[in-house]
Amino acid sequence: MANYDLTPRIAPNLDRHLVFPLLEFLQERQLYPDQDILRAKLELLNQTNMVDYAMDIHRAFYHTEDVPQDMVDRRAEVVARLKALEEGASPLVNFLQNEKAYQELRAEKQYNLQMLNERYQIGPEQIEALYQYAKFQFECGNYSGAADYLYLYRTLCTNSERSLSALWGKLAAEILMQNWDIALEELNRVKEIIDSKSFSSPLNQVQNRIWLMHWSLFIFFNHDNGRTQIIDLFNQDKYLNAIQTSAPHLLRYLATAFVVNKRRRPQFKDFIKVIQQEQYSYEDPITEFLACVYVKYDFDAAQQKMRECEEVILNDPFLGKRAEEGNFASVPLRDEFLENARLFIFETYCRIHQRIDMGVLAEKLNLNYEEAERWIVNLIRTSKLDAKIDSKTGTVLMEPNQPNVYEQLIDHTKALSGRTYKLVSQLLEHAQTQQAAR
Amino acid sequence: MASRFWTQGGDSETEEEESDYEQEDNEVPVEDINKAAKSKYLQGSDTESDDEDGQKRVVKSVKDKRFEEMTATIDQMKNAMKINDWVSLQESFDKINKQLEKVMRVNESDRVPNVYIKALVMLEDFLNQALANKEAKKKMSSSNAKALNSMKQKLKKNNKQYEEMINKYRENPEVEEEEDGDDDDEDGEDEDSEFEEDPSKLGMESDAEEDEDKEAGEDDANETGPGWEKMMSKKDKLMDKQFKDPSQITWDTVNKKFKEIVAARGRKGTGRIELVEQLTFLTRVAKTPAQKLEILFSVVSAQFDVNPSLNTHMPINVWKKCVQNLLTILDILTQYTNIVVDDMVEPDENETQKGTDYNGAIRIWGNLVAFLERIDVEFFKSLQVIDPHTREYIERLRDEPTLAVLSQNVQEYLERAGDNKGAAKVALKRVELIYYKPQEVYDAMRKLAEQNEGGEGEADGEPKAVEESRAPPSFVATPEIVPRKSTFPESSRTLMDILVSLIYRSGDERTKARAMLCDIYHHALLDEFSTSRDLLLMSHLQDSIQHMDISTQILFNRAMAQLGLSAFRVGLIAEGHGCLSELYSAGRVKELLAQGVSQSRFHEKTPEQERMERRRQMPYHMHINLELLEAVHLICAMLLEVPNMAANSHDAKRKVISKTFRRLLEVSERQTFTGPPENVRDHVMAATRALRQGDYQKAFDVINSLDIWRLLRNKDSVLEMLRAKIKEEALRTYLFTYSSSYDSLSLDQLAKMFDLSDKQTHSIVSKMMITEELHASWDQPTRCMVFHDVEHTRLQALAFHLTEKLTVLAESNERAQESRIGGGGLENLPLRRRDGQDYAAAAASGGTARWQDLSFSQGRHGTGGGRTGYNAGGRTYSGQAGGFSRDRTGQSRGVGRTYQTGSAARASQMDGSTRMVSLNRGAYA
Repeated sequence: MANYDLTPRIAPNLDRHLVFPLLEFLQERQLYPDQDILRAKLELLNQTNMVDYAMDIHRAFYHTEDVPQDMVDRRAEVVARLKALEEGASPLVNFLQNEKAYQELRAEKQYNLQMLNERYQIGPEQIEALYQYAKFQFECGNYSGAADYLYLYRTLCTNSERSLSALWGKLAAEILMQNWDIALEELNRVKEIIDSKSFSSPLNQVQNRIWLMHWSLFIFFNHDNGRTQIIDLFNQDKYLNAIQTSAPHLLRYLATAFVVNKRRRPQFKDFIKVIQQEQYSYEDPITEFLACVYVKYDFDAAQQKMRECEEVILNDPFLGKRAEEGNFASVPLRDEFLENARLFIFETYCRIHQRIDMGVLAEKLNLNYEEAERWIVNLIRTSKLDAKIDSKTGTVLMEPNQPNVYEQLIDHTKALSGRTYKLVSQLLEHAQTQQAAR
Repeated sequence: MASRFWTQGGDSETEEEESDYEQEDNEVPVEDINKAAKSKYLQGSDTESDDEDGQKRVVKSVKDKRFEEMTATIDQMKNAMKINDWVSLQESFDKINKQLEKVMRVNESDRVPNVYIKALVMLEDFLNQALANKEAKKKMSSSNAKALNSMKQKLKKNNKQYEEMINKYRENPEVEEEEDGDDDDEDGEDEDSEFEEDPSKLGMESDAEEDEDKEAGEDDANETGPGWEKMMSKKDKLMDKQFKDPSQITWDTVNKKFKEIVAARGRKGTGRIELVEQLTFLTRVAKTPAQKLEILFSVVSAQFDVNPSLNTHMPINVWKKCVQNLLTILDILTQYTNIVVDDMVEPDENETQKGTDYNGAIRIWGNLVAFLERIDVEFFKSLQVIDPHTREYIERLRDEPTLAVLSQNVQEYLERAGDNKGAAKVALKRVELIYYKPQEVYDAMRKLAEQNEGGEGEADGEPKAVEESRAPPSFVATPEIVPRKSTFPESSRTLMDILVSLIYRSGDERTKARAMLCDIYHHALLDEFSTSRDLLLMSHLQDSIQHMDISTQILFNRAMAQLGLSAFRVGLIAEGHGCLSELYSAGRVKELLAQGVSQSRFHEKTPEQERMERRRQMPYHMHINLELLEAVHLICAMLLEVPNMAANSHDAKRKVISKTFRRLLEVSERQTFTGPPENVRDHVMAATRALRQGDYQKAFDVINSLDIWRLLRNKDSVLEMLRAKIKEEALRTYLFTYSSSYDSLSLDQLAKMFDLSDKQTHSIVSKMMITEELHASWDQPTRCMVFHDVEHTRLQALAFHLTEKLTVLAESNERAQESRIGGGGLENLPLRRRDGQDYAAAAASGGTARWQDLSFSQGRHGTGGGRTGYNAGGRTYSGQAGGFSRDRTGQSRGVGRTYQTGSAARASQMDGSTRMVSLNRGAYA
């Protein structure tokens, strides 16, 4: 199943720290040998300042208690640097931690800067130091501290470039702390800036969008309302273009979101077209499933794909998130996906049939006969399906849903009278005003 | 009288045939006399160099005097030729004929003097040249042109009498030339051979000339012009003589000489080839590399001047030399990296004096990119002109690797020099050399280039050695540093990628656009349809192509054609049709692809236009096979149009996918007898007839019998795809046509009928059901499809018709009102109207919209661009439209009745909508 794993394609678009959760997940799923993952983690950590963690992993990797000297050195160095940065930023940090002083800040940045400079001798150097300090904190794995400092930094920062990177940093920190609500806010903030800002090159902008979309996966598949929002975000023209040009693998998530989401029908049709177009550049069971149901009308293949989808979902770090209920773990998204996928197949299948054998249907739906019957009865009862079950022959009979000619006629003419009344009244109005004028 | 009689006999000007016997009689004496005369003259001319002219003059006999008169007249003629003055030329011609009479009489011979013959030859040549040069002819004043014409006739008549002698003269002009001791500046090519031989000889010759020039100068005041010219050229030659001694040559002398020669460039009477030769000579004696470079640049530009016309190409040997020169330039530039070539800065006079040991940058004027582009253009032109079915063409094509080498070297140099813009331009030239080559052809070229190494080295070496031995050895030896063999990567795609990415990085707009088109073409050629489609959509070229130059537009058309072919090969019929239909819509494919000129019945082209068009033609080896293109286009159209026609059989005009195809079909249907298919069109029409009857096998066989398929690389798979498509469309057509005759149809039978698998059949039919093209549904337990009777009754159909009319009426009322009292107040109106317009536009898009709009219009926006809506124009709409079309079918006759029933309906409608619902429900029940 490793062949549907998207981690190698997603990882380059994430922050170093954001890759850890993915690797953890992979380790849990046992998709790759443990050694490989540990090595990957180690490599990842080498560029960060999370030296302690790196040491742990090193021990696990080589099964030793010793830690190479350079790591120890590195640790000392990191600690020293942290100290230095803390010192540099301390005046500002002290000021900000002082509740009273903090109240003096106002919405206007220029005023704040001036005020700080005059009263507390805090100049641009200190503000810069705060940024560096926050960044370092983040690199050391102290996300909450980093998030706080970055938030403060943003209130004082005048450089828009810096402000944006601070925002990215904050977003990453919030994601890593799993504060999904705040992260979502941050996400929208970043998005606004990306969409509004005039980037040096369009290419740059596209790249930023792609990053944003990758990062947002963490949020959307954890946030309660995420599945609607992922469609809102990804399906925007600009973002869809970015997906198509540079990151077609994101289609998997969009497709899943579409399947899981029950509304969104109008956009869904367009999305099918996109999938069709991108077939040559990206295919995985989830998109293929949609293609089978809505393009090829090949229901056997769709069923096959549905089974594959299950695997894919379980092995995807974003989709296969576990919900623990007592000692019973389930993957909520998988169940939801399968349910909806079944509905998709069934719906389309019914549209082109007038009589279906229950046995066949059960098979198509991956259910047994009893279950299938219950399922269909449920559908009929909730009036999602206009059909009857003929239990003697074991078939489902569809009610023909030909539009009534008379209803059509009424639809056509309904608006006419209203329009005519309006017309007349306007004419009269006009005549009156003219008379009055005379 | 006796003498008069004799002269008459000798006077061949009138009728020679008559005097035949007399000639025989006179032969002996005449010859004697003639010999005497000649020898005398010869002697005279020989001794002239020794004796003083003045002396000569005194003792001139009558004979000589006449003779001199004649030469004077000839000189006049020469002058007239130089200024293209036909009026005075005509006068001189008359005069010389009279003088001839006199000379003959004096000489008492019937042999025409050589001088005269030579003049005739000269005249004839000049006349032919003048006639050939149409542009100049057009520019002539009317009197001049008239004179030219009468001259033409006179000369023709006159020359007939001397045909033999003229031919004899033409065979070995040297004899005469030497005899006359005349040097013709005009006659450049003869000059070459002499010039190249040896400077020492040149010196001698110029001595002889000098005296003659003097004489000429004294003879006639008119002579001053050419006299001056000749003095100059004589001086040149003296200079050349100076160069004979290597020790005397200094930078100054060379520079001075160089300036002189360059100054003479473009002046009247300076032979172009001669100029090249002179400059080539100078390159050998150049003192410093920089100077050599400077001179070489002039040589190259002089070589470009050899062919002044836009329509003809540069002689091939000159072209080859030119390439060699450019390679030498590159050698020098690579060897001495401190020399900078620039066409912006006006260089210092003595810049080139700086020798090899000079460390700073030396600036030389020149533009390598322009030279290379020119060379490329000349190569292209020569291929345009040469008949592609000859060996010459193939020989010419063999020069392609040479050009590739040169451009590669230039590009490398420019990249080293940091001129990325120039490098991009050169890279584009290289791209244009390879973009149309499929891998096989590319491999062939690569092999040729490798082979050439051996052969060419020899061929080049030989003349070079000879040249070296003849000339004084070069002062600045230039070792061949730049590789003479290009290095082609294994796959053409790799090369394209390298070049194209370079261009995208640093090319200008046009270069980038062209490179992009070439890239698209090449991808399409390699069957990578989706990649090339994405490139096209991302670049937005289809939006801006109208504003580009014609040659780029042609390239765009070619790329589109190739894209269509590739879509077809991959099996994307609709896309293929979208790409090709525009090309065929106006019936001017040849013109659009620049693969031949098509005659238009309706307006004549001016010669100017025609010439322009001819200049744009693609050389033969770059052509896209038109038959294949047509076949693909028509087959695509057939596959789309046949089911479409079957679906809308009631009002065929309603939705047309391919107008071209419909027209052809009409024509073929109008024929009383249909013969066996001959051309591509007939084949497709025959296939269409079979397909409409659901006979997929016959349709496929007919198409399979086309012999253009052998042009396809993956012929078998394409034909297999085509077979599958034909089956599929046959099934669809069958269902459209006969569904009304069935109540149910079993899947097995359908599958068997069209030789399709159950799964495929099911999928096709399901698709038709979903899109509501077919009003039916499956009965799963029995594996049957059950057709629903959704045909409306006559009353229902009329009612629909009425409501539609009512809507139109209401709308027009609203519009009328709005126009009277202004748009205020009707908030919902504009919106609705817009909807209506959209409706119309969508309906129209089926047939009339331009294909770009149809299939590619909604291409990517912004950088990434959205590929959404690719192909959104026509198809999506069809389901909806299909539904409506049924409602409206067959009711065109009952218009009168429509209104009658209409009034009743209207009345009931006025009562209120609620009542109407119940009323209708009642009717339904």
